[in-house]
Amino acid sequence: MAASQPFKTAGLLKGLMAKYYEQGNLARERGVPVAWVTAVSPVELVYAAGLFPYYPENFGALAAARKVADKISMAAETRGFFSDLCGYARCGLGDAYAQEHPVGKIVRPDLLFCCNTQCGSLQKWFETAGRLYKAPYFLLDAPLIENASTELVKRYFVEQLEEAINFFEVATGSPFNFDRLAEVLDLANEACRLWNEILDMAAMKPAPFGFFDACFHMAPIVTWRGTKEAVMYYQELKNELEDRLSKKIYAVPDERFKIYWDHIPVWPKLRWFSDLFAEHGALVAVSQYTHSWAYQFDLDRPLESLAENYSEVFSNRDFEDRIQLKINFMKKYQIDGFALFSNRSCKPTAFGLYDKRKIISDRTGLPGIVFEGDMSDLRYFSDEQVRNRFKIFFEQLT
Amino acid sequence: MTDHKTIKELCAQFTRIINEPNLEIQRVHAEKPAPIIGFLPTDVPEELIHASGAYPYGLVSYEGMWVNRADAHLQTWACSLARCSFGMALAGKFDYLSGLIIPHICDTTRMISGIWKQTRPYDFMENFVLPRQVDRPSARSYLIGELGRLKARLESFMGRSIADEELQRSISLYNKNRTMLRKLYQFHVRRPDLISNLDVFNAIKSAMLIPKELHNVMVSELLRVVEQQTHERNTDDAARGVRVLVTGKVWEPPAIMEILDESGGVCVADDLSTGYRYIANDVTENGNPLEALADHQLKRPPSPCFVNRGQDRLEYLVDKVKASGARGVIFLHLKFCETENYDYPLLRDALFDANIPNVRVESEIGNVSHGQISTRIQAFMEMLGGEEIYGS
Ligand code: SF4
Ligand code: SF4
Repeated sequence: MAASQPFKTAGLLKGLMAKYYEQGNLARERGVPVAWVTAVSPVELVYAAGLFPYYPENFGALAAARKVADKISMAAETRGFFSDLCGYARCGLGDAYAQEHPVGKIVRPDLLFCCNTQCGSLQKWFETAGRLYKAPYFLLDAPLIENASTELVKRYFVEQLEEAINFFEVATGSPFNFDRLAEVLDLANEACRLWNEILDMAAMKPAPFGFFDACFHMAPIVTWRGTKEAVMYYQELKNELEDRLSKKIYAVPDERFKIYWDHIPVWPKLRWFSDLFAEHGALVAVSQYTHSWAYQFDLDRPLESLAENYSEVFSNRDFEDRIQLKINFMKKYQIDGFALFSNRSCKPTAFGLYDKRKIISDRTGLPGIVFEGDMSDLRYFSDEQVRNRFKIFFEQLT
Repeated sequence: MTDHKTIKELCAQFTRIINEPNLEIQRVHAEKPAPIIGFLPTDVPEELIHASGAYPYGLVSYEGMWVNRADAHLQTWACSLARCSFGMALAGKFDYLSGLIIPHICDTTRMISGIWKQTRPYDFMENFVLPRQVDRPSARSYLIGELGRLKARLESFMGRSIADEELQRSISLYNKNRTMLRKLYQFHVRRPDLISNLDVFNAIKSAMLIPKELHNVMVSELLRVVEQQTHERNTDDAARGVRVLVTGKVWEPPAIMEILDESGGVCVADDLSTGYRYIANDVTENGNPLEALADHQLKRPPSPCFVNRGQDRLEYLVDKVKASGARGVIFLHLKFCETENYDYPLLRDALFDANIPNVRVESEIGNVSHGQISTRIQAFMEMLGGEEIYGS
């Protein structure tokens, strides 16, 4: 089982994340403005501008993983926010009002930079936070891409990146440094390359690494992308995985099945799920989610290339494209079945899954299920119901 | 008194259209066949559809009984507007449509378009992929391009090109409709005894269900009679009732306006998609029509779906209350409407900070307790100043 063989790099990760949070807390004292950013947004620009990028989604995921998301969320709910909003947003807003901070205090933004390529929830959450903290807010808007991207969308995105650069220049009071951007993009390329090589190891049978491990190790690719730290971390992790391979240490020792998972993990249930799958000799090998960070930037055309990478991620693709992307992963990782998570917090990834399940099964012949729950809030998760859904699923795996 | 009856009769026409929303459009279609292209409310450039020769048709009259039809395809925690529209489509209620345009205004509309296309497609299925920020230059250039894309798609579907002059004519026709409806709205504000809340909102909603040519005739006739009456009558006793501002997406269930009428509330301003937002501003009639349509969209009143740092909704609402003389605000929200649900707490606080009483009424198409809504609204009206309602 994944958790029974702790990774050596886990310690490194802990240190790295502690450093990240410390930087966040100290940024303002050092005269570095704190920019709230979204997970799938061109943070490369933010690093290049010399701002400190803070990820409130990470805060939400951390609260969820520590099983206190519902508690922090309540602080927002008593202020009138609704329990049907994204759980991350409820945590982020809740912590601003809360008296207690079980996972530390969310860092106040000096400015907010949101890309809605993932969802409109972030657009609203950041707008709300902008009002709450009275901080300037920039929305990098990503129109949904149908089939293929168009010149129109690319031009719009590039124009907005230029507007964003202006926005950052106002915040920092200094001109944007494109040489610095090239360095950051280079480092981001390197980290993304390593990260994806690591993810690909899950295609081996048996594999040393799976989706639940990826969920654990993904924090740096989100937060430290564009820095040396991320490159160093994934180099270490890759070395460790190669070492494990030579020692025949596998994620699921008696791996029989590979599973595709869509999309986010159920953070407070990471262990629960990884045990559930392991009991059946199944490795959750891949998810679109962890593959979101697979950027490759062209240093000769930085803005265009940022535009392409961030507007064309799966979460900004239409129904048919998303099906095709999932099927491609299933082929590449030789998947035996798939589980689609109807995540109450996340309408953009959940809506459409009922039909997609059927279509994917029809096209691939693979068994698949949709299960209901919430990525962070255990009030919307029933162990028993989910276990029963999966019982049927495991019976279908052959 | 005969004139008074005439107003009611004229208003009853709108009610009929809403109650049987497919009758009139199908009659028109039988007389002069052309494709009917539906749209979800309401940030859609109807003028383009009109100029292409098709009939624009708003999916804005809901039959709550079909909400659950959508359950096999769409989670029950999607808003009931999406569930109901789609459920009605699955039940075959919109089979007379040749096309559907879905404006991308939130995650729900963004996602439902793919499901709809997959499950119950019409010949022409298009998204109108709006910019979600409206006050930076990039929004304008992108939107002009997106309008151009939609125009080209309509042209290819209709097998004809849309000349600028044709589009200008459609724009004028729509402007006329908006101008008259705004006038009617102002009459309603001054003389709610003649034009009730329900009357004016029915007039606006019905404009999306029949061709504007016909609607213009109906509204201008109504305006003429109303004008007469306001001249004839002494207006001293007219402006009774408690002035309120209504904010939200759609006024569902429609009974809500009757309840407001009965409890002595007068909606003097609103930002509803099927209300004032639909008629708030006109499209410039000279110059490039696509640019004019883009500007029109960008300058619509603030909505929770679009980021507008130039005019934040918080201040907009407070200003609007003051300008309209509303004494309170009713938040009219659909359950699970994410965009509104994010905005609500801070809007509420901003209003309270400005000493503006407000109340939130939550409804769900196909699942509402009229009694509960009624109690809530009545209590709010009484709090705002019941004596005026029943007083001299
Ligand atoms: S979980 Fe979904 S809704 Fe929430 S921030 Fe992430 S993408 Fe957006
Ligand atoms: S804006 Fe609200 S009511 Fe309208 S479709 Fe989206 S969620 Fe539903």
